Amino acid sequence: MTTTHGEPPAVGADPLSLPPQPVPDAVTAPFWAALADGRLAMCRCGHCGLWLQPPLERCRRCAGPTRFTDVAGTGTVYSFIVQHRATVPGYLDDLPYVVALVELDEQAGLRLPARIVGVDPAQVRCGLRVRAEFADLPGGDFTVAVFRPVDGP
Amino acid sequence: MSRSLGGAAVVGIGRSPFVRSSGRTTLSMAAQAAREALADCGLTAADVDGFTCYSTGDSAGPSQVAHAIGVDDLGWSLSVLGGGNIVTSTVAGAATAVLSGQAEVVVVYRVLGSQTRYGRALERVEVDGEGQFAGPHGYLVPPQWFAMFCRRHQYEYGSTAADLGAIAVQERDHAVRNPHAVARSPITLDDYLNSRWISEPFRLFDCCYEIDGAVAIVVTSAERAADLPHRPVHLLGAADSNRFGGSVDQWDDLSCMYSRDTAPRLWSRTGLRPADIDVACMYDCFTFTVMATFEDFGFCAKGEVGDYFRAGRATYGGDVVVNPHGGLLSEGYIHGLNHHYEAVLQLRGDAGDRQVRGAETALVTSGAGPFGGALVYGTAAP
Repeated sequence: MTTTHGEPPAVGADPLSLPPQPVPDAVTAPFWAALADGRLAMCRCGHCGLWLQPPLERCRRCAGPTRFTDVAGTGTVYSFIVQHRATVPGYLDDLPYVVALVELDEQAGLRLPARIVGVDPAQVRCGLRVRAEFADLPGGDFTVAVFRPVDGP
Repeated sequence: MSRSLGGAAVVGIGRSPFVRSSGRTTLSMAAQAAREALADCGLTAADVDGFTCYSTGDSAGPSQVAHAIGVDDLGWSLSVLGGGNIVTSTVAGAATAVLSGQAEVVVVYRVLGSQTRYGRALERVEVDGEGQFAGPHGYLVPPQWFAMFCRRHQYEYGSTAADLGAIAVQERDHAVRNPHAVARSPITLDDYLNSRWISEPFRLFDCCYEIDGAVAIVVTSAERAADLPHRPVHLLGAADSNRFGGSVDQWDDLSCMYSRDTAPRLWSRTGLRPADIDVACMYDCFTFTVMATFEDFGFCAKGEVGDYFRAGRATYGGDVVVNPHGGLLSEGYIHGLNHHYEAVLQLRGDAGDRQVRGAETALVTSGAGPFGGALVYGTAAP
């Protein structure tokens, strides 16, 4: 993993050097707050238990109130890409990098997009078991969950 | 009141030049396309009382374009927010306005200027909405989303790079005969396989060609169409599907697309089936979009698209001619409205060197992933 830790970017640095920064809103803010606290939490209905991604203020099934609830942080690679070309800012020194849709164990179809770290891109497969770990998002203000193969090579 | 779109027809088509970089405003290009479309059907600004377009906030609006070509008082003006997913709704909406008496003659347009390039987002430093979960991982733009779909299809059905290449090569071969296409040099499967990776499994030739340009079509009633110079092209039916709020990440099965749900709806509404279609203008923001939607619409089974194309079944002399103009991949990316232009040209019999002989029906699809739609045009009223 090449994410830098505790190294603030120079002000006025090349804008391409930083990946897009999230803009939390009233509903998503707890997701980012949990990550800053070292927890991966997803939005869940307090009534019926449905997990909701992207998060909603009220459950789309029963309109119950939702809250962010910690997840185990384990899941399966549903699909993935190997990004070879700079089409989005950030990670330019990491090309080619892997982004996957990770299906979390809590609910079928509950997915998070995330970088996969600690593995040769050629070794990544659909169905790969992965576990979340935390990394500072270059830019200094946010923590993100990246995933590493459970039985890494 | 009629419950079908059959009383509406497309009577005029127009376009601005398709170029990599025009240096022109969206208003200038849209006005040119609208003027051409009206001239094409012998109408003037005085005949037009409706205007609509779709855009992603990147275009001159309907009232501006109408004013620019000399329409004094526009009775029906609708600006739709959306991309490929919303083309069918926009065209069907124009037909609905005509059928319900809200307007008599409606111009539908889409214009793209150099400020619009969806394939890369190197200026995006902050992302809100659902993008805030993906952007920080370097995952934000359509070639990445649909490469994700493609990978899952390869995993589930064993489709290959050569299958994608067969689509790219076929479409380019068609574009060779299209003077409006921006990419007209033939490519081979080796050229495809040797093109650089973008978002693996997508290579350069899996991606459409983003350009500047505008397309406009004129929709009016079948009665009015009968008095106009060209053979009218009738709307036989349309259908859309929207799931998961448009989320590409949460869509349940990445090996297929919206068309899984649209297809049965469309075939039911029109009474048609794939074997009835002569020309298929398949929305092709990427090769894989053609693969997934072609399967979903029932032209062949899952995993068989590569063989279908290699056997010549998707070109002249085959079962159905897919994107005779070269599609978004080779004619250029006018966000799918150029597919409507081509369908009309083919059904009029005016497509010149690339005419599909005897074409009577055309399927036009739009969109990718969790939302989109499709429409069928025919030479005969339903």
